[in-house]
Amino acid sequence: MSTTSHGSGQHEEYPPYLAHHFDTMGQQAGAAKLGMWLFLATEILMFSGLFLAYFIIRYFYPDMMLSAHEFLQKEAGALNTVVLLISSYTMAMAVRAAQTSNTPSLKRNLLWTLLCAGIFMVVKYFEYSAKIEHGMLPGRFYEAHYHGYELVGLPHIFFAVYFTMTGLHGVHVLVGMGIITWIYIRASRGDFHSGNYIAVENTGLYWHLVDLIWIFLFPLLYLVR
Amino acid sequence: MGSQVYVNGKEIENPHEFHHHVAPKKQYVQVLGALLVLTVLTVAVSYADLGPLSLPVAMLVAAVKASLVCAFFMHLKDDDRFNVFVFVGTLLFVAIFFSFTLFDLGARNAVNDEQKTFEYWNDEAAAGNALKVGVDHVPEKAAALKAAHAGGHGDGHGGDHGDAKAEGHGDAKAEGHGDAKAEGHGDAKAEGHGDAPAGEHEAKAPANHEAPGGH
Repeated sequence: MSTTSHGSGQHEEYPPYLAHHFDTMGQQAGAAKLGMWLFLATEILMFSGLFLAYFIIRYFYPDMMLSAHEFLQKEAGALNTVVLLISSYTMAMAVRAAQTSNTPSLKRNLLWTLLCAGIFMVVKYFEYSAKIEHGMLPGRFYEAHYHGYELVGLPHIFFAVYFTMTGLHGVHVLVGMGIITWIYIRASRGDFHSGNYIAVENTGLYWHLVDLIWIFLFPLLYLVR
Repeated sequence: MGSQVYVNGKEIENPHEFHHHVAPKKQYVQVLGALLVLTVLTVAVSYADLGPLSLPVAMLVAAVKASLVCAFFMHLKDDDRFNVFVFVGTLLFVAIFFSFTLFDLGARNAVNDEQKTFEYWNDEAAAGNALKVGVDHVPEKAAALKAAHAGGHGDGHGGDHGDAKAEGHGDAKAEGHGDAKAEGHGDAKAEGHGDAPAGEHEAKAPANHEAPGGH
């Protein structure tokens, strides 16, 4: 595929990865990217509903928010923030490697990204199991007072918000891990190079959005003041 | 294939030249460094007691981080402007969503005072409604809910509950339940649900009140 047209001149030759309904790779990539951005728009709107719920509850019950958030592990949240930021960096480097046809670097960076995502989920697992163990659960499942924790106000609502927001985010991380694995397999087959890397780029966009959401979740849930 | 090729409304001169901007590695490292520094700043701000300013400051730092990720990692800086438009448009709609809801919350107190909604809420709360849920009441409430459910679907579960409710509330329901018990389950459901959906609704509310007493 490296013999296909890159420069000017060979207008009649179609690269094998160019779908027939597109005239050029640029057009195909532009369409794919626009589609991805529209998808990301729906993602942002979906999460915005949860963020708004958070702000409303915080507006009504500031003291409850303040006391309940003390039971989240700040260190775990901070560690996860750093891990996700690094994974975003490695993902950006993976896209850059694809842009420069550097397949070994692409594969390496995808693996780093996967590793970071894995660390994130393991930390989340420990956080969740601690919460479940202490009965700090959403809504009517809340039973931390049986475990000797007296929280003021309506902590079961705080934990509902906590589990819904981080849970939905966690699902996105898991989905992202799946997609990155798929991209890694395709990269191993040699699918990606400077003329065809939109799949890598769109995966990167999705992954950065997951990072973006965590950038807001972390201070709102873990660092209430 | 035509001689002119358009991408996003613009004519492309060399259609087979796949244009892309490759940013230098150094730039990505710098952005990562900035993001990590800002993370440390967020944590530091949460420990410094800024009072009411802490939330806006935390959000400001998060917004700066998000902008860095969007501009450099997501390539919006050098990307097609239309993608920027989609993204900024989304943020605009989020802003509308947030601000109108918060306006409503802000105006709530005035409206409540004017229409005496608050007194009404208080009465409801005093009557043991869901508004009064404290931490300690949660398991009780769960039990109450279960009991209410059992009571609400009285068709299937014994006559006592059913009768009590049927007499208390309105004719429509009384008939629905009465028939149900006399004739059996198949017909019962069809009639009860069809005729008096409003009645069913009511049936659950009193069950809610009774249940805590029963336990």
